[in-house]
Amino acid sequence: MTDAITVTSVSKSFPIPFQRRPMVAVRDVSFRVEAGQVYGLLGPNGSGKSTTLKMILGLVRPTRGTTEIFGRDSEFVASRTSVGFLPESPYFPKYLTGEEMLRFYGKVCGLGGSELRTRIDTLLELVRLTNARTRRLGGYSKGMLQRIGLAQALINDPKVVILDEPTAGVDPAGSREIRDLILDLKARGMTVLLSSHLLEQVQEVCDRVGILAQGELVREGPLRELIAIENRTQLVLENASVELIGEIETRALAAGAQVVEKRNSETTLEKLFLEATQSATRR
Amino acid sequence: MIRGLLILSILLVTGLAKIPVEAAISAEHRREHFRAVEFGLGLREQVGQLGFIAALSGFRALVADFVFIQAHVAWERTEWGRVLLLFRQVTTLQPRAILFWDMAAWHMAWNASVAAMNDPAQPRLALRLRAQREYFDLGRDFLERGIRNNPEKPQLYEALGRLYRDKYHDHAHAAEYFEQAAALPDAPSYDRRFAAYELSYCAGREQEAYERLHRLYQSGERERLPTLLKRLKFLEEQLHVPLAERIPDQLPADTPKR
Amino acid sequence: MSELPHTAFSLRRVGALTSNTLRELTRLRVFYVLLLFALLLIGSSFFLARMTFQQEFQVLKDISLGAINILTSVLAIVATARLLPQEIEDRTIYTILAKPVHRGEYMLGKLAGVLLLLAITTLLMSALFLAVLYVREHTVLAETARQMRAAPPDHLEEALRNVRASAFNLNLLPGIAIIFLKAALLAALTLFVSTFATSNIFAVVVMVFVYFIGHLEGTAREYWQQEHGTGWIASTFLGLVALLFPDLQLFNLVDDVVAGTPILPALFAKTAALGGFYVTLYFLLAWAVFYRREL
Ligand SMILES: Nc1ncnc2c1ncn2[C@@H]1O[C@H](COP(=O)(O)OP(=O)(O)OP(=O)(O)O)[C@@H](O)[C@H]1O
Ligand SMILES: [Mg+2]
Repeated sequence: MTDAITVTSVSKSFPIPFQRRPMVAVRDVSFRVEAGQVYGLLGPNGSGKSTTLKMILGLVRPTRGTTEIFGRDSEFVASRTSVGFLPESPYFPKYLTGEEMLRFYGKVCGLGGSELRTRIDTLLELVRLTNARTRRLGGYSKGMLQRIGLAQALINDPKVVILDEPTAGVDPAGSREIRDLILDLKARGMTVLLSSHLLEQVQEVCDRVGILAQGELVREGPLRELIAIENRTQLVLENASVELIGEIETRALAAGAQVVEKRNSETTLEKLFLEATQSATRR
Repeated sequence: MIRGLLILSILLVTGLAKIPVEAAISAEHRREHFRAVEFGLGLREQVGQLGFIAALSGFRALVADFVFIQAHVAWERTEWGRVLLLFRQVTTLQPRAILFWDMAAWHMAWNASVAAMNDPAQPRLALRLRAQREYFDLGRDFLERGIRNNPEKPQLYEALGRLYRDKYHDHAHAAEYFEQAAALPDAPSYDRRFAAYELSYCAGREQEAYERLHRLYQSGERERLPTLLKRLKFLEEQLHVPLAERIPDQLPADTPKR
Repeated sequence: MSELPHTAFSLRRVGALTSNTLRELTRLRVFYVLLLFALLLIGSSFFLARMTFQQEFQVLKDISLGAINILTSVLAIVATARLLPQEIEDRTIYTILAKPVHRGEYMLGKLAGVLLLLAITTLLMSALFLAVLYVREHTVLAETARQMRAAPPDHLEEALRNVRASAFNLNLLPGIAIIFLKAALLAALTLFVSTFATSNIFAVVVMVFVYFIGHLEGTAREYWQQEHGTGWIASTFLGLVALLFPDLQLFNLVDDVVAGTPILPALFAKTAALGGFYVTLYFLLAWAVFYRREL
């Protein structure tokens, strides 16, 4: 598998005015995102998630280390030919309609003509905003804004999308839709790197996660493996009848295992998360 | 930090390059009579701090107009001292506007002088005459300075010619200024005629005046205006021109009366 | 899925950024300045009524061109100063620069958008002003002709010529072009300042200072060059002012143009070239700072 994104021991410190010691936002972070994966970057507020994403996009320059997208250093504009980005709580011009906004971003990517038109149609379809295409963004709900923002990130048909807290401030239904979209993109072979602190959502969509705390990557690995540290197995069943579940429970008890919870993936990740971040704080 | 210093040094280096260019363009502006105003202490005292700043920041003409309107109001109230003061400011601020010099001189020599002559507060004629004379001089001073600032425009020469003619009754000087106006490329055709008229009143220069008027007369129907014919006839008498060389008596039918 | 070919400079990208900037600026109701201008024209015509036509035309022209001058300058500074801070605050700059867009293209698009806005407002204000002047000129011409029916033909001709000369004058056009140049210079300089300014207000305050110092630069330069026996502190200060600031007085020709001084083509060309030089210089500096700026 090729790597879509490579982050190699990057650090970022921001100078603080009138202070000798700079503020270290990201400290020696390395991870890789394989093509086709959904990668989740987790961390409490101020842990350096956004800063890391901005470094990957070349918006912020690392103090040390390098970031690459498909082998191209983020320092160069060419690295951004196959990436899309949705920043955290962006504010798009209210007076534009959804369609106009996408057309603008398309032109900024050098698209035009019928190619752009069909692209806009497809994307509006994808984010289910075809009905709202001629409405002004000022009248969009937060969920619709995030979805049009996602469409904007996809305008140049990128191979990687980077989403900074895509579900922040969106109600459960809206965030459900966004999660479905992410899975949809994954199904189309797209690589997704997202940051979040909403754990159950990350758990649902991500193949791999990294946990940042105070600028350090304290845990990193495939989601399943990370959770498996807990010495527990989670079984997610679809269309399982009550009888089947009862049977599994009895069998498990008979085998000496304990059924701790029936559907409780969240707590596991949350525990891991809290433990990881708290131990970092204590240091 | 290093970038900041680098950019500062770029600005300094390009600054060194631009200074001679700006100085050259500035000199050219002066040659072409742009920005002929001196922003000195004197001006600041005259127009006040605010007006001075406004004038400095590219709104000189607006400040001048504003002062001009004040002068206009002062004139309506016949506050002559104030009119003089304000017009001095106006012409300092905008020395290239013919209109302001012309108006300033007109207010002094035509309006203020008459008011001084009819001043009921001053019973002594000698003093009233002196005051009137002083206003003539103020008007002349405005026009002379105006001409110095706008040597290429005929209007102020004409105005000075009129001032000498109508106020000082000094026909020799009047003729001289009309003549100077006529010599300029933009001058109207009547300046030459006016110069010749004035000359015709100057004792001892009748021959010169006659020749000029006669030349004008011969240049075409257009010039044969009543005044010209009258002055020509007067000179023919004075100089005893042989009858055969005199101009015909009757007025051309199509000449409008003055 | 084919990757888009990526070029170093694309007119389409810059064009999209330009028209977006222009659109954004027009949304700010900047065209209210036109309304303000129209009101000023109408308002001034009331008190101009009691003047002679020469006075009326002169004051009308001074007021109109003075207003165009100040409105374009203010617009140039205020509109440009908010461009970058606003986009950073809205985070739309992240979405744009996360696309394959060079920062130079981004800056060029912003500057071109402002310049286009300035050109449009200058043109509209000038058109309004020239229309008023045209109407007044023809009214006065008709009146003069009526009043002077009995005068000798060359007197009437001269009077009409005077009316025409004191109304519209072809030299006004290069004069207006130079007003635009000054606004363009201020816009480019504001863009430069806004690349390192911490806020919109800061950039505007800096530019107000620059505006006034720029008008004094000529004086400082002359004192500096003449070496008036000033101490080295004063001399260094004057030198820095002369080196670092543009001479904005060089762009104030319109006052004298109204008064009847013609702008010769060579002089106009030099002034325009100087303006172009400053716009380019400040744009390049803005780019240089922005190129490595953290967002
Ligand atoms: N431009 C900057 N200058 C100074 N400090 C900064 C800058 N950008 C970020 N920081 C600091 O770096 C740290 C990491 O910020 P970052 O935005 O990456 O965190 P985050 O994980 O995205 O947080 P959140 O969940 O609140 O979005 C914070 O303490 C922040 O204050
Ligand atoms: Mg963040």
